[in-house]
Amino acid sequence: MAEVKPGGQPAAELSEAAQSELLDLCEDQFAQLEKLQNEIILCEPDLCENPQEQSVNRLMATDAELKQWLTVEPKLLAANSEVLLQAGKEEMLKLCSELEMVLSCYEAKRDKLRETKELEQKWLEEKKQVLIAATDHAERLQMEKEKLSEHSVLQDTKAKIRKMKVYQENLMESLGDVLEKHVPLPQNESSTNRKKKNIELGLNEDLISLNEILEVLMNKVLNTPHDPYVMIDDTFWPPYIEMLLRYGIAVRHQENNFKIRLETFF
Amino acid sequence: MKMSLLKPFSKLPGLNTANILLVESEEQFQQNLADTLVEETAVTVNVRLAKSLPLPMENEESRPRIDLVVFIINLTSELSFRSAEASLKYLDPGYFLGKVCFMVTNARNASVPTERLDAVRKLAASLHCPLLFAEDQTPDGVTNAAERLLTILKVAAGLVPMATALYLSNLTRCTLPPDIDQPSFD
Repeated sequence: MAEVKPGGQPAAELSEAAQSELLDLCEDQFAQLEKLQNEIILCEPDLCENPQEQSVNRLMATDAELKQWLTVEPKLLAANSEVLLQAGKEEMLKLCSELEMVLSCYEAKRDKLRETKELEQKWLEEKKQVLIAATDHAERLQMEKEKLSEHSVLQDTKAKIRKMKVYQENLMESLGDVLEKHVPLPQNESSTNRKKKNIELGLNEDLISLNEILEVLMNKVLNTPHDPYVMIDDTFWPPYIEMLLRYGIAVRHQENNFKIRLETFF
Repeated sequence: MKMSLLKPFSKLPGLNTANILLVESEEQFQQNLADTLVEETAVTVNVRLAKSLPLPMENEESRPRIDLVVFIINLTSELSFRSAEASLKYLDPGYFLGKVCFMVTNARNASVPTERLDAVRKLAASLHCPLLFAEDQTPDGVTNAAERLLTILKVAAGLVPMATALYLSNLTRCTLPPDIDQPSFD
């Protein structure tokens, strides 16, 4: 099995002597091959269907081959230097062509890598620019932060609060003015209207103004947000309540008719 | 029965010649593969095609010594596998010392049950043969498959100095993962 046939047909450049020597060698080899072939055919084939047995056979064959490789002596292909030179030349040429293929393969690989490198470098450049931009932005923010001291922030907030307070006072004043002008106390109204005086007088003396009603409602909302309802008592003039409810300024309690709260405007 | 057994050393080898036998029950891939195999220039490659073994007796005389037997199994067909399995017993045990290999096609097909691939792997592993996967739909796949077969064929035909079929097959034979019988979760 380990037979190695001497390589190919003799080249034309060989001298006649060398060529005949080579042919003799080939014939010797072929004779040996035939001898071995006959031996194999004559051998009784050991049929084994059993895979276990096949494995053992395989192991034995491998073992035998290993032993043969260990004992085999490296020997010259041929004694004639001319033949050796020719064989060597052929081997070299073969090797050369194989190496050339390897070279071209690596060149292609190199070009591909170079392309990849250029692409990566472009990406790197872009990434660098992004980094520069981001650093710039961060620096600007840092500078702004340094300029803003704690004191200035406090001052800022204080000014804002003051502004808000002034605005709120303004609103309250306007509200007061509007109420004073358009919804005066019931007593005043009744005193101007002589005809209704008697009926009015029958009403509760300590009625409070709309101003005060709103104040009570607002305070209730702010102080106890979980229970913003206010009980309606005698001091609330019913028309005012009616007006508040009708214009959606106040809402009645769903279960208790005598309770109202300020509409949630926020 | 004994006469129909294909033997690896019953005939003398030809000079610089390698003979390969492609066995495929469906006869779809073998012709394509054969056309690519014979394009090899370094050695003379003879390709023989068969649907199954045993080979017919009438060609016995003209048939060269077969250096490598390739069983092509289409994984999408159960019949393809069964046919290859049935053909195996018409081979001399000497072939299983590195002169048989299995080539599987359509392994990527989603409709292939994993049990069938496992069965092929078990078969190849139990016979200590290499198992190759091939793509038969694309020209590149065919070329690739042919190249891989040629590498094995050259060794099996004794054309590579310092290498034998048994030696190569010890390195390339199919081995089973120890957990092949475990249910897979993917």
